[in-house]
Amino acid sequence: MGRGYIVEDAVEGYLSNLCEQQAAPVTGLLIGQSSAQRDFVVMATRTPQREESTSALDKEWVTEHARQVSRMLPGGLSVLGVFIITDADAKDTLTTLRQLVFAVENLISSDNLWSPADDDITDCVTLHVNPKTRKTVCRTFDVKDPKSMAKPADWKYQLGVCSSWSMVSCCLNVDMLVPLPDNRASTENMDKCLKEGLKVWTHQIESGVCLIDGKKLPDDTDLTSGQKRNVRQTYTAQLLITPDDQRLPDVVQRCGGSVSVRGAIHSRAYLHSNKPKARLAEKLLKRDVVSTVATRVQMMLEELLISEEEGKGSKDKQQTEQFCLPRRIFCPVKVSGPVCVCDYQFSDEGQSEVTDRLKEMLDMDAAEEDLDTRQETPAEILEKVVEAEPTVEAVEALEPKRNNYIGVAMATAVALLATAASMLYLNDV
Amino acid sequence: MVVADSPCSDTGTILRVRGPLEFTCRLDSTDALHTHKVISRTFQTLHSQVKSESCVLTVCDSPVIIWPNRGVHATPEEISPDTLCEDLHQWIQTDEQESAGKRSAKKKSKKSSAVNVINLRLMMEVTKTGPVSAPILSKTVQKSHFLSTTLPIDCVIRTTCNDTIKDAFERLLAALTHQLCEMEKVTLQHMKGTSLVKPEPLHFLLPEPKGLVTVVYPAGVPDSQLETQRKELHQQFELPDDWPYFRRANAYHFPNEPYKDGYLRNPHLFLTHPTLENGKVYLVQGIYSYHHYMQDHMDDNGWGCAYRSLQTICSWFQQQGYTERPVPTHKEIQQALVDVGDKQASFVGSRQWIGSIEVQAVLNQLLEVTSKIMFVSQGSELASKGRELANHFLTEGTPIMIGGGVLAHTILGVAWSETTGQIRYLILDPHYTGAEDLQVITDKGWCGWKGPEFWDQTAYYNLCLPQRPKII
Repeated sequence: MGRGYIVEDAVEGYLSNLCEQQAAPVTGLLIGQSSAQRDFVVMATRTPQREESTSALDKEWVTEHARQVSRMLPGGLSVLGVFIITDADAKDTLTTLRQLVFAVENLISSDNLWSPADDDITDCVTLHVNPKTRKTVCRTFDVKDPKSMAKPADWKYQLGVCSSWSMVSCCLNVDMLVPLPDNRASTENMDKCLKEGLKVWTHQIESGVCLIDGKKLPDDTDLTSGQKRNVRQTYTAQLLITPDDQRLPDVVQRCGGSVSVRGAIHSRAYLHSNKPKARLAEKLLKRDVVSTVATRVQMMLEELLISEEEGKGSKDKQQTEQFCLPRRIFCPVKVSGPVCVCDYQFSDEGQSEVTDRLKEMLDMDAAEEDLDTRQETPAEILEKVVEAEPTVEAVEALEPKRNNYIGVAMATAVALLATAASMLYLNDV
Repeated sequence: MVVADSPCSDTGTILRVRGPLEFTCRLDSTDALHTHKVISRTFQTLHSQVKSESCVLTVCDSPVIIWPNRGVHATPEEISPDTLCEDLHQWIQTDEQESAGKRSAKKKSKKSSAVNVINLRLMMEVTKTGPVSAPILSKTVQKSHFLSTTLPIDCVIRTTCNDTIKDAFERLLAALTHQLCEMEKVTLQHMKGTSLVKPEPLHFLLPEPKGLVTVVYPAGVPDSQLETQRKELHQQFELPDDWPYFRRANAYHFPNEPYKDGYLRNPHLFLTHPTLENGKVYLVQGIYSYHHYMQDHMDDNGWGCAYRSLQTICSWFQQQGYTERPVPTHKEIQQALVDVGDKQASFVGSRQWIGSIEVQAVLNQLLEVTSKIMFVSQGSELASKGRELANHFLTEGTPIMIGGGVLAHTILGVAWSETTGQIRYLILDPHYTGAEDLQVITDKGWCGWKGPEFWDQTAYYNLCLPQRPKII
């Protein structure tokens, strides 16, 4: 008794077109959501053509495509597996598919900062389509088990698979400050430091309290209970966090500067319509929160690395530099459906670049009018160079209280006995 | 340096908020003026955070969450700003029931203490309404220092039965703000060029009506160096100079917080005290641990009772902050007696008994505590010592070791009637060999009230009455 995949009707047509148009073999990704009972495939996208087009299968290219696509999927959507359209031998094809699926899964999960959960589904799907006979063979592999054998799975087409999926979303403040090491503050160093900071922040988000529509719900609450069936729902989430015990220890350290990430992001996750639980909504949303921030930071660093390599980076040691992270733009998969994919738009890009990427990566024909740009506005760099001090984007900012204690404090100098646990040392710079 | 809560006539509920606040900043130079400025600025940020709408207080073990700066908005929706603080108890899960909803009947807390504590966690809401402005990555390159720590916020306020959530949380906010100010003061005050201290709040229970007060101390700075601060506090609260109210060891221990060492504290508090005609009860003051046979994997059954009584007394001095020395082992006690010349070296490791005189000597040698010795030639005379014992508990408040016949015990209090002469003694018996089971210990009288017939009427007794050092 294997897994059962409920597949959006449009995917059948899409695969069929690929059979006719392109010279085999054609590979691509299957995108959707897995759950304990069944799995849903919402869309499929072919691997884009490489400039040096060879008909041979390029495993690295397929996995890189998967990685890029993964960045464009909001919470609840993920790359579920790989398809291939070829008339080659079934057994060989299965071996190829197996390699691809493991490689894809490894690459994508290596990018993830969040911790895997016990109830995560670790099965990935492979689909082999014969272009001449249109026969499809569907198998799954457990990517957690390197020795996993192919298991048969059901592949069934259905209309409107995600038409009544719900969405949980929130807008979230990000305020991170990490030190740079005490030597040349290269972009590579910045990457490492930011990753450390992001790991700590991820843990805070994961341990945070999640409210849905203003309430803390027990984990097993069925979100859709009490509501009309097959009616789309949207939920607003709130996240409460606190610095946790596993944080980095108290430290005063020499540093070569600091990096901060400040601003806010829009995060969302889609939930299948088969009695989704509050626990699932919380898990998927938190993962999206972490992914969207990490992805943008990663993209920013990739851009900086490229400019550094091309010698475009400014050679003079400017005190403070500011970079705008890209903003998130959404685009519905189907005009009438609730489910959207997303893309990130840098400040020097226009909307056409977004639609181009949607076409290239997801094979989506989106028009600029289809894009939802209302969730985030582009970042704005303040004209005055602000020192990287921790500031709070207080919604109701009150006037800071005048501090009257400094005079008294400076007059006294008490000799101190040091105990390692409570004293923090500064060394002269 | 402290906040004292307004007096209240009945035992209301204590609200206690704890939570780490992240304190992070970059220091361009170690120049004191600059460092002070940056630290103060960082504290200002924390003030804004605590006063902002993002500040959230969650009630531990319950689904209740309150936004104190959003008109005291709360979830679940049955809770409004006008809800009484006391009603929050209904929402808190105890070990006995699992449901996350309201309890059907108000459950009375354990008889152990009349104090009800509601624990709250300080958290920050990071979500807000959109649309939002995408983040900016800001990189500053400059040789400097990076400071990252958390402030251990710990605030309490006392509420009365009439207080609404709105009243209480307003006071809680004020306490939080005040604590940040205190922490800033302590941090800046104890900063000296190349070192920083973490401010550490502790709570102290002062005699009524002052109640619970919170003091922020610099962590790691020993009590011996903070006498000036303690003097100021004693003046501020008009406290006598002979009881160390503000030593760290005397910090208030919240009910239901377990002690790490596993010893029972003050088992006598679980007893019903006798009522004598025109009688009054005089008890040991402060906190002691119950030491008895067989503890610490030491089989001293039959010979160690005086040692255990001495350990109980030492634990009293340690927990009131008079000494930082941990409770001595049998060997350490014996060694102390050798050191003062009272015993031969062969005494150490033996199973020889000790008496009140030895107890007095050890207290002096190890803790620098002097003791008075009271002698009664016959056990029957103890019945007439009511006044003296009462006076001892009034002025010194320390546990008494009594040895005579072949037994040693600890006297924790006396119930005595001046008019009828009736007397009862609160005895802590070191001959108990069982586990730290409060039920057994109180039910079976290992800690219990005894009448004058408890003593061997013909044997002579020596009592060691430790004197409390008159220091702060």
